Amino acid sequence: MWSVIKSVLAAFFGVQKDARRREDFEKGRPVAFVAVGILMGLALVGVVALVAVAAAR
Amino acid sequence: MRTCIVWIAGCLVVPLTTTLAMANGWNMPVGVTDVSREIHSLHMTIFWICVVIGVLVFGVMFYSLFRFRHSKGVKASHFHEHTLVEVIWTAIPLLILVGMAVPATATLKKMYDPADADLDVMIIGQQWRWRYEYLGEDVAFTSNLGTPRETVRGEGERGEHYLREVDEPLVLPVDRKVRFLMTSDDVIHSWWVPDLAVKQDTIPGFVNENWVRINEPGVYRGQCAELCGIDHGFMPIVVHAMEEEAFDEWLAERKEAAAQEASGVDREWGLEELMARGEESYNAVCASCHQPDGGGNAPAFPALAGNQALMEERERHVETVINGVSGAAMPAFRNTLSPVEIAAVITYERNAWGNETGDVIQPSDIAERLAD
Repeated sequence: MWSVIKSVLAAFFGVQKDARRREDFEKGRPVAFVAVGILMGLALVGVVALVAVAAAR
Repeated sequence: MRTCIVWIAGCLVVPLTTTLAMANGWNMPVGVTDVSREIHSLHMTIFWICVVIGVLVFGVMFYSLFRFRHSKGVKASHFHEHTLVEVIWTAIPLLILVGMAVPATATLKKMYDPADADLDVMIIGQQWRWRYEYLGEDVAFTSNLGTPRETVRGEGERGEHYLREVDEPLVLPVDRKVRFLMTSDDVIHSWWVPDLAVKQDTIPGFVNENWVRINEPGVYRGQCAELCGIDHGFMPIVVHAMEEEAFDEWLAERKEAAAQEASGVDREWGLEELMARGEESYNAVCASCHQPDGGGNAPAFPALAGNQALMEERERHVETVINGVSGAAMPAFRNTLSPVEIAAVITYERNAWGNETGDVIQPSDIAERLAD
């Protein structure tokens, strides 16, 4: 699970080690990446919204 | 190595100094409001960030091209993937962008806060003029192009403010917060005065807000910045910023004049005075389409001179000026012109250029129709 989160974070940032990418493609389940990706996408939107609200004060 | 660096630095100094020299006059103005100064300083900060990035990136690039050139027998290194370098070149732009976004957002917040204004001015875009209404003060007027049509056609000397002058400027006080409520009667226009750092679309059916607090008295010029039709380039903006006392005096004078204009409907007017008044209003408001000689501009703008239908159908003529023609270019003037002006324009059109109907339209009749 932790490795999935790390891979999704790396995808958000846009940089990933080739070795980790190979590992993900060989061992990981696609559903896990999609689900974690959606959840963390929502979390990112939430963080940005919070920052915006705080800035508007 | 040393000569190489000197050479590169020399190459960079030339375009840089050129840019700076050009900036004097070509750069955006500092402006005369706190917000405009902030926008200018943001603009310069971001400009210098871009300059530094440009110098570094191109410096490294040109240095590498020169230092490791093929003719010296340098061999290219072939490698794939370097996570640390990739992280660095992703993180640095991210930090720079966030660093620019923080002060920019702070300025945007100020720009979008029109609360607690001392004065409200409605700005209405029209094809092709601006209308200004001082809300709650009963003062309203239309600001038309001040350059004579003959000069535009190439007859006569062009002055210093050719196409950037108006018959009546927007008058504003300094040191007071003025809120603009901006809309349009026909198509999208954009009210743009660089020195005030205001560039706001005026959209039919919408009211946009903006505000200024001018620091220095003076005359500030601008233009319509949204292509709005054939005379888009002929609806300039002139803002006359006055000291507070002078502004209050001006406003009181305009109020009195407005009251006098309103009382004009109470009396009977003669043909001569209506003709004189009508010619004035016609040239300011109607002539841009129907032409000063009433010859029109076919097919969109019909000729008024020698127009049989116009001369025979007085009722329809009055109706057209008051309410416009829906679906055509003819706007309604019921809210733009006063009853006296509408009566005068119609009387003028029915008696000028050989249209000798002898009709006299009384301002009181127009006032009655407008009240319905």
